[in-house]
Amino acid sequence: MLTIEHLVKHHGSRTVLDHVGFEARSGRVTAFLGPNGAGKSSTLRILLGLDRADEGRALVAGQSYRSLRDPLRTLGSMLDGSGAHRSRTARNHLSWVARSNGIPQRRVDHVLDQVGLTASARTRVGRYSLGMGQRLGLACALLGEPEVLVLDEPVNGLDPEGIRWIRGLLRAHADAGGTVLLSSHFMGEVADIADDLVIIAGGRVVADGTLDDVTRRYETLEDAFFALTSDGRDTVR
Amino acid sequence: MRAVGLPPVVAAELDKLRTLPVTVLAVVGTVVVGALIAAAQAGAAADQDLPTSAVDVTLRTVPFVVAGLVLVGVLAVSQEHAGRQVATTLAAVPRRGLLVAGKSIAAAAVVALAAISTLGACVAAAAVTQRLLDAPASTDGAGAGALLGAAAYLVLIGVFSHAVALLVRHLVPALVGVLALVLVVSPLLAGATEHARWLPDRAAAAWFDAGPGALDGPTATLVALTWVVAVGGLGSWRFLVRDA
Amino acid sequence: MRAWSVFAAELQKLSALPAVWTGAAVAVLGAGALTLLNAVGVRDALLAGRPEDSGYGSAFDTAFASMPIGTVGAVVIGVVAMSSEFTANSPDAGGGRQIGTTLVAVPRRVGVLVAKAAAVVLLVLATAAVAIPASVTLAEAIIGDAATSTVPADEAVRRCLGAALYWTLTALLALAVTVFTRSGVVPLLVLVVNSSLVSVSLLLTMLTPVAHWLPDMAGRRLFGDVDTVAGGLAAGPGALVMTGWALALLVVAGAVFSRRDA
Repeated sequence: MLTIEHLVKHHGSRTVLDHVGFEARSGRVTAFLGPNGAGKSSTLRILLGLDRADEGRALVAGQSYRSLRDPLRTLGSMLDGSGAHRSRTARNHLSWVARSNGIPQRRVDHVLDQVGLTASARTRVGRYSLGMGQRLGLACALLGEPEVLVLDEPVNGLDPEGIRWIRGLLRAHADAGGTVLLSSHFMGEVADIADDLVIIAGGRVVADGTLDDVTRRYETLEDAFFALTSDGRDTVR
Repeated sequence: MRAVGLPPVVAAELDKLRTLPVTVLAVVGTVVVGALIAAAQAGAAADQDLPTSAVDVTLRTVPFVVAGLVLVGVLAVSQEHAGRQVATTLAAVPRRGLLVAGKSIAAAAVVALAAISTLGACVAAAAVTQRLLDAPASTDGAGAGALLGAAAYLVLIGVFSHAVALLVRHLVPALVGVLALVLVVSPLLAGATEHARWLPDRAAAAWFDAGPGALDGPTATLVALTWVVAVGGLGSWRFLVRDA
Repeated sequence: MRAWSVFAAELQKLSALPAVWTGAAVAVLGAGALTLLNAVGVRDALLAGRPEDSGYGSAFDTAFASMPIGTVGAVVIGVVAMSSEFTANSPDAGGGRQIGTTLVAVPRRVGVLVAKAAAVVLLVLATAAVAIPASVTLAEAIIGDAATSTVPADEAVRRCLGAALYWTLTALLALAVTVFTRSGVVPLLVLVVNSSLVSVSLLLTMLTPVAHWLPDMAGRRLFGDVDTVAGGLAAGPGALVMTGWALALLVVAGAVFSRRDA
């Protein structure tokens, strides 16, 4: 469903992505793991058409994100927490997003309820806590009832109840045939819900396969992660 | 799947401006300040027994409300970059050309609303002040044509500010840049060199205040629009090609 | 807490802000560019024997005509020095504001404000030390012998110092006002408008002579006596009134800043 092919991205002389390629398939939760600065966000930003790749391409159901019609009805995403202007209310934020993609306004109340923000719907986003901003970002991703969900660090700042809720949500979404791509550096969360793993380090994909494939040689996912991302050197712990 | 056309994008952009408190404050503030200044100028004229008309007073008030229009003009773009709203916007409307078009139409609409309500408030405030003070009225002043020209001037300044904001993205540089150009650079240059008439605001000012040395009508219009198109085109191009 | 290190920290913070450099560039390059354009126009008019079109007869006056753009630069420096403390980071970076860090590092808030004001004064004076001589030199170089009048050296020095003082006091007023508003938009808008020819203060002087005591009107003659607007305070008393305004607003700002939750 999501196809990333040979992405290369330079920032000045620094190579941020070095031929990154992988797939996220329908009906599965694909976890995209890597240390800070490994290239996770850069990959997702190119996938969502925010940044341009120097080489390669990223496709959603065979099309580039920028050529999708009403993209939020195909792919819901959360990259930067709430992604809302701080002086707007949550309801107003979701309302304009819905309007831009021809999504019925009743979906706004529905997703606010779904993420548990109904009581704070008329509060300005600038007054939100980190977790509430995260919930608003999720509400925005769910707004268009998309088939694909792309979430950058979705559990960041969520309380334990929120983490459990999102785990259930993503599992159910994949089980219903949807595609989920989530980036994270919380190994524990990922081990519980991911079907497939893509591990990136230094701008390169160092492991790609099912959870079992990738972790077979190691005791835990965490061991696998550090072994694969340390690039042969001892990891600083 | 429905096609994303221009109308929903414009509607969403208008929604964004309407629900941004600073837009509402800027529009209302400009209207109120304009009315107060028009009333003050009408009062000052009445004090000195100078016959004047509400329209003339309004035209003299225009330079004082320009700043409000500049602020309204830059908001459509600058709000995106105060925080990370731009990521949401581009996720919703990834076709940047469509987005720039929708944003520009929405910005122009809000600017026009602000300009027309401000001038209306100025005329009303000046007329009421004159009536209350029993001031001598003049009938041979500027007419509705000049008022229309002033409205066009204010809209042009607002749209030009939007174009500058597309180029520089952030609120403060766009605001300071346009304000410095319109309020400081242009009058200072006009004091010593006639080349100042080629500046966008001087050219557009010819629509309601054709002083000596101003460009003639069609040339003025062409110069003013060329500025908007050139800066807006450069800003749009930058928005289209660069990483968000 | 040593006052010197607080000042050094504020100075380092300010000089690392791109907006502060932009403000300085507006003053230096803006004054230079305006002087260049004006001086060419003045020279051509004088050489063509049309002094009535030139606006100014001396190179010094031509250069000084572009000084209001420096006021805009000073406003930017003063406003940004304070508003940058209250700008929220992006949510990725925690959405925090620098003011929290500042006040944890230096809990004595009046000390922070004084250090900030001192840093602003230093930066604006440095900007003026570059912008004003550069503009005057540029105008002299372009107009040269075409000038029909000259400004005596002692008056020139007095007006240069006066302009630098005006810029500095304007920056301090901007700093104080931004303490109240926290956001930079309103002070920028109001102060840039008021440093222009469509100043609201100027309009108010037509309604009431009391408006001559407003800070920007009071200090107006620091640039010299050539102003077109009649009335108001002379340079010396005007400078005192404007300084009084700046200090008074800073004191009130200090009181507000000390009591308010960050």
